[in-house]
Amino acid sequence: MLFPTITFAVFFLLVFVGNWLLMPRPRLWKPFILLASCVFYGWWEWRFVLLLALSAVANQLFAKAIERAATAAAGKWLLAAAVAVNLGVLGWFKYYGFFVTSVADFLAVFHLNADLPLLRILLPVGISFLTFRVLSYVIDVYRGKLHTSSLLDFAVYVAFFPYIMAGPIARAGEFLPQLAGPRDPRRVDTSRAFFLIFAGLAKKMLLADYLATHIVNGVFTTPGQYTSLETLLGIVGYSVQIYCDFSAYADIAIGISLLLGFELPENFNAPYTAISVQDFWRRWHMTLSRWLRDYLYIPLGGNRKGPTRTSVNIMITMVLGGLWHGAGWPFIFWGLLHGSAQVVEHRRLDIRKLRVQRRLRPADGRAAGAPPGPPEIDLRPWGGGVWPRIGVFVFVTFAWVFFRSATFGAALSVLAQLFRGWGSIGAAVTPVLLLVIAVGIGVQYVPRSLYERVEAGFSVLNPLVQGGLLAVGFMLLDVLGPTGPASFLYFRF
Amino acid sequence: MDDREPDTLPFGRRRRTAASALVAILVAFVLGVLFNAPAMKKTAMDLPFGGQRSFRLALVSPAAAVSHWVFLDRPAQFAAAVLGKPDPGPVPVEVVVLSPRPTSQPTASGRPRAKPEDKPLPKPRAGHPMRLYIAGDSMAGIPGMALVNLSRDTHLIRPLLDYRISSGLVRPDSFNWPVQLQRQVKAFDPGAAVVMWGANDNQGMQTSSGKVYEFGSGGWEKEYRKRIGDAIAILFGGGVRRIYWVGQPVMPESIYDRKIRVMNDIFRSEASKHPGVQYIDAYEVLSDGGGYSQYLRDEKGKMQQVREADGEHLTYAGGMRLAKVVMAAIKADWFGDKTPGAGSASPSPKASAKATPAP
Repeated sequence: MLFPTITFAVFFLLVFVGNWLLMPRPRLWKPFILLASCVFYGWWEWRFVLLLALSAVANQLFAKAIERAATAAAGKWLLAAAVAVNLGVLGWFKYYGFFVTSVADFLAVFHLNADLPLLRILLPVGISFLTFRVLSYVIDVYRGKLHTSSLLDFAVYVAFFPYIMAGPIARAGEFLPQLAGPRDPRRVDTSRAFFLIFAGLAKKMLLADYLATHIVNGVFTTPGQYTSLETLLGIVGYSVQIYCDFSAYADIAIGISLLLGFELPENFNAPYTAISVQDFWRRWHMTLSRWLRDYLYIPLGGNRKGPTRTSVNIMITMVLGGLWHGAGWPFIFWGLLHGSAQVVEHRRLDIRKLRVQRRLRPADGRAAGAPPGPPEIDLRPWGGGVWPRIGVFVFVTFAWVFFRSATFGAALSVLAQLFRGWGSIGAAVTPVLLLVIAVGIGVQYVPRSLYERVEAGFSVLNPLVQGGLLAVGFMLLDVLGPTGPASFLYFRF
Repeated sequence: MDDREPDTLPFGRRRRTAASALVAILVAFVLGVLFNAPAMKKTAMDLPFGGQRSFRLALVSPAAAVSHWVFLDRPAQFAAAVLGKPDPGPVPVEVVVLSPRPTSQPTASGRPRAKPEDKPLPKPRAGHPMRLYIAGDSMAGIPGMALVNLSRDTHLIRPLLDYRISSGLVRPDSFNWPVQLQRQVKAFDPGAAVVMWGANDNQGMQTSSGKVYEFGSGGWEKEYRKRIGDAIAILFGGGVRRIYWVGQPVMPESIYDRKIRVMNDIFRSEASKHPGVQYIDAYEVLSDGGGYSQYLRDEKGKMQQVREADGEHLTYAGGMRLAKVVMAAIKADWFGDKTPGAGSASPSPKASAKATPAP
């Protein structure tokens, strides 16, 4: 079920009413919301509901066993088993084909013709998000940060429909406490919810889908048909498209959750205003970044084991982050690019710190006339201002070319086209295209306080007026947007 | 002590009750339905003939009537008109299939002869490329893009890709291909056309008399053959000299695949009836010994994923595999055997009327 459809509107209306009617009775509410989530997910493919059920039961058993483990070693083994099972399931659905074809290609180098079995495996929507959600639960139980919850609570957490398809990756520790008691129907943050839902739909329908159909899909599939300027705008357009598409889903998911009384973590914070690649990852897909940091980078040693290990840990984290997005070498390369950039930034900061320390070394360990307290070191690898922002955007946009392309060859064809046809502008370069790209980037530079003022103004309106304004807004979106709903990009991840 | 969260948030934003939210949602829903009722009706009408379509229409039609009666359909129409977007409604009730334009060789009966001009094909050369029109449904999208890339490589073919999602020959009320073909051949003046329909044609079809035929019935087949003939006549009538009619590939689901084979048989036999029309056997090109496979080996023996995750649509590798076969057929007709790459179609560049083995 897609968000921008009348089917979902009817579904949500029914769920909203049921949600608040049953909220005071958790014993009824929890099965209800679980059933609603299964309907939502099963609408796509009912057999995948079984996967949800199996995931919930298996991980609950693992978590209980870990909690009751007699020794630390036993707990560790159980955790390893849980991680292996979850990653095994993910690998089966998502990486089987990639693995088999890669092995076959590798063997072919040695003239070995391996007739490996290739199966048609239907990828369950949102399985990568599901895997990370349930792993957060099992790992936090192992770490003692979380107590196991009831199976019903855990199943609600696993299947909660607003985030099931494409995040945000709400951790068990963020969501399960909200199930402890009924949400208060007198304190619903409705205006923020409506704003997020509307803004999400606008970003998706007006910006992302327009860019996809107008230029991005063409530039990335038939680059030879486009001039260099069109190609450049197509590449930049993809940067805007993927932000508008993915953040739109997150906005709508957060908004819908708010209307049901639940808060989900933020997933985007103006990522194209970042002043470094590290900063970008603190703003882009924030729940994934935090997950990778807390459950992969830090357990690997983080930055505690010297510069070399730090660099290795960053590279491992980013490459696996790339692989998480999709089964293919371009995704891995995309991760490598981002990892390398962060390693460079880390090294740059390390050198800066070293220089400051050297300056402080004479006499009593502090430069003459230096103020008391620790020295101030600029922790921004490239400083602030406009140029670092432009540089990071250019880098991120360049890396997206590999993320978007099916093969390296396809990515290189797109990049090569940047240098082949500067003789003319191209028919795809229109004022609307330039406006859409400018808006897609520009909205990230609008101060947050402005959005909050609009939300505050909306919140005091009569609900009849609120509904009327929303209806007019939806009508305009329908008129301005493309015909028919398009699937969200991150569903495939 | 009250440990509840404060009622006011930044800039005085107020939390509201769930009841207040319900009122806003209901108003937005009802008004939204009325504002968008014509578009919703159009969406319902585009569904395949049957119970679901009737049910959806029964729900939406009264809303569309009310919307029209209280003028709430006008804002969307006005906004669409200002923006130059096509008006979603009202939907034409009857099916409109344009009569093909007369060709240069009309028959005695006056019906256009579905045949290209008999003159030799002009050899494309620098400055005078052959214009290639590529049309079809969503299945034509990726192979069409691959064909565009191959065309560009020749420097002698100027392609135009025109594929429409959820379209076909059976539902001109949803998307009218005959009208589109007439427009495009007039505007683009192609020398050759590659067409690929059928993926959405596995449904009932309404004739101009209003009768609806079930898929696969005698009436359905007769009408479908007529529409294929009409499409061919429109293309030839517009000056197209060669048509490459691409069949549908093998499908993973057996019932759908059976229907695809029914349509492929029709495409093949219609192609054999019309000089200048060549059938491209996508079923064979994209099957593994006649059976379905998501992966196939390329000419170098390298394993490629040829189908998307949905199992049906082609990946770029799959599209390129098919496009190479089409390009080989085009080059054989338009360039002889001398153009570089003319013989590069692989695997098994079969553009034949050979019966496809059942999987």
